[in-house]
Amino acid sequence: MKKFYNVHTIWLLMIVLTLSTYLMGMQGWSGIAVVLFLLLTAVIKGGLIIRDFMELRDVSFLWRAIMYGWLWTVCISIAVTYIISL
Amino acid sequence: MTAANNTTEPKLLPGDLAIWFFIFMELLVFGIFFIVYAVMRLQNIEMFNYYQLTLNRELGAANTLLLITSSYFVIRAVQAIRLNNIKQCIYWLYAALAGGTGFLILKSIEYADKFSEGINLSTNTFYMFYLSLTLFHFLHVILGMIILFAVAIKAKRGAYNAQNHTGIETGASYWHMVDLVWIILFPLVYIIR
Repeated sequence: MKKFYNVHTIWLLMIVLTLSTYLMGMQGWSGIAVVLFLLLTAVIKGGLIIRDFMELRDVSFLWRAIMYGWLWTVCISIAVTYIISL
Repeated sequence: MTAANNTTEPKLLPGDLAIWFFIFMELLVFGIFFIVYAVMRLQNIEMFNYYQLTLNRELGAANTLLLITSSYFVIRAVQAIRLNNIKQCIYWLYAALAGGTGFLILKSIEYADKFSEGINLSTNTFYMFYLSLTLFHFLHVILGMIILFAVAIKAKRGAYNAQNHTGIETGASYWHMVDLVWIILFPLVYIIR
């Protein structure tokens, strides 16, 4: 598995996830499941950028906590407001 | 074997520490902006859903692909300099700048379209958020490109090598932050409803 986990495959995965986000938008789908899926997609892409592009996977816990904490806090806050509105 | 030998020391943040405090500050501002957008949408759901459909999702998606690819080029530049391949590093940095330029062009087309329809910050709450959020990000793309360009020029002058390339990592970290912010902005403003 490690063999296939590198910056090239990560870039490819992010391209696929972006296209899936766009296609879901084009379908005009809405609802809690769709909102959560789209936000989860954003969290996955953001996590890959933080971990593998910014290269924070092996830095001290504090720095990772700030970055992942920001990502999750923003996405969960957005999710909560959308769940309230549905 | 001592306990100290069994533990691995965490790595230092890539690039200059100062840029990371700048990045944290930028992320805090964008994070607040995103949450305020989502809360304001709660009070104007029909308006936000209606005007969201007027946005050009194709250009939004294309810009996401451009930024992700540009970020990928930047990480290739970092990998190249670590192997002391200065020429390759410069090529990847120029490729990343081309991606950034593509983003600015597509965004300008999008703005020109909206401005020609008479849309501005005071048109309604949705457009106020759409324009201010994306323009704020647009300015960050320009700043990121200036940093990358400066780094590429320094690399061309031989300022970096496999042992000393903090400047390249610093520019790369900032550029990835610009990408990270857009990763949230795109689905939030263009897609999720």
